[in-house]
Amino acid sequence: MSSFGAELEVHIASLRRYARALLRNRADAEDLVQEALARAIARADSFQTGTNMRAWLFTILHNVHVNQVRSRASRPDEVTVESVENRLTTPARQEERVEVREMMRALDELPDEQRQVLLLVALEGLKYEEVAEMIGVPIGTVMSRLSRGREAVRAKLANGASVALRRVK
Amino acid sequence: MEAHRVKDEELHAYADGQLEGTRRIAVERHLAEDPEAARKVEDYRAQAALLHEMFDPVLREDPGPEVNELATRLKGRLAGNDNRPAWHARPLTRIAATVVLVVGAAAGGYFGRGVTAPPQQRQTLQTFANEATQAHRFYTSDERYQVEMGAEDPGALDNFLSQRVGKSIFGPDLSKAGYRLIGGRSLPTDTGAGAQYMYINDQGKRITLFVGPPPAGKETSFSFAQQGDIATFYWVEGQLAYALIGRLSKDELMGITKAVYDDVKAGPKPREQHQQPPQQQPNPEERKPDQAQQPDQQNGVQPVSDNHHKPKDS
Repeated sequence: MSSFGAELEVHIASLRRYARALLRNRADAEDLVQEALARAIARADSFQTGTNMRAWLFTILHNVHVNQVRSRASRPDEVTVESVENRLTTPARQEERVEVREMMRALDELPDEQRQVLLLVALEGLKYEEVAEMIGVPIGTVMSRLSRGREAVRAKLANGASVALRRVK
Repeated sequence: MEAHRVKDEELHAYADGQLEGTRRIAVERHLAEDPEAARKVEDYRAQAALLHEMFDPVLREDPGPEVNELATRLKGRLAGNDNRPAWHARPLTRIAATVVLVVGAAAGGYFGRGVTAPPQQRQTLQTFANEATQAHRFYTSDERYQVEMGAEDPGALDNFLSQRVGKSIFGPDLSKAGYRLIGGRSLPTDTGAGAQYMYINDQGKRITLFVGPPPAGKETSFSFAQQGDIATFYWVEGQLAYALIGRLSKDELMGITKAVYDDVKAGPKPREQHQQPPQQQPNPEERKPDQAQQPDQQNGVQPVSDNHHKPKDS
């Protein structure tokens, strides 16, 4: 097996997680990942050994996503919160349901550009500079989107959920 | 007053572990005085933890035949792209390298050895830590595949991983910190094969120690990184780079890091001998000299209280 095997598996798992959180719909997320991988195969020559493979893959996925959003602009997603929750595989306990539901709703209501940045930073652990380069905006823009996104989520979760939130390990 | 002022974006950078040096200290001081700011940071981290809880299960899912097939094809393409030619043999970098060498040669007279490093050496220790953290995220989230080889026979595990890494390595004993070794796996990094040791405590919390070839080769002191709720300490010791990773507070992880560091410095111990009081050893001469508490040493001239003082480099 090539030396990329395990590394690539790790990155693809991250891409799938990010896509799921970004779109909150399993079928759409899988479509996005598949299209991104197909693009990566076509553009494999552009990857340079020794550079950041994860950033390379995320950048491709981001570009595919932007194109999809553009072409779907006329028909917005109609996914209810309940149907999304049913797709979650977390065997959530009763006390966690509220937080999960609130976070899901908060994500739904965020503008796409804030959701992207929040998830890339908070879920995928990317550096601000990496995010800036990936989505092609100045770092100040990344910071303001992150800040607005986080505060919006905070406001949504503030209604009773924040106390329980602190118990999440 | 003004110097004390902490900007909003610094709170984010602090929460994300992307703030370094004096500003980190300034933020910590600020948080101690400003409960509202402290709550913000706590909420940001709680958001990250909740997102992980909600979406990490995706990592455990079978990606499905389509993705698997695409992954295999991409692997093939990248491997074809990669066959690990030396950096100077790839066409594009060869041109770049020529330029660097020419410039380097031209500048040599003025700047001596200040020639640009080849791409592989630009790989930073931070990248190593990132890779180690990614591997932690991935393999601690999937209980089915968490280790490639179990720790039932720790010696066999060490041998297996040493062989992969190409250097003698071992999984330190972290039982004092409450963690036991459950196994390990070998993983590729950009600088060569690395090894991940996985530990678990009684609460089921996992930490991993990632050992691999260091990017630049010089020793460094501890660095700390926080990505979401995952904390990482990393450093270079001898010919290897280490990263210790866990969903723990900085202080908790620091304590374990010290245990790892001391154990690595001391070198591997024979594992069978744990918790054997010296009196019960029938043949003291069979014990390793650096472990034996030799009586004649105690009334020697030097008041050496520390018995793992080793003259050899380790």
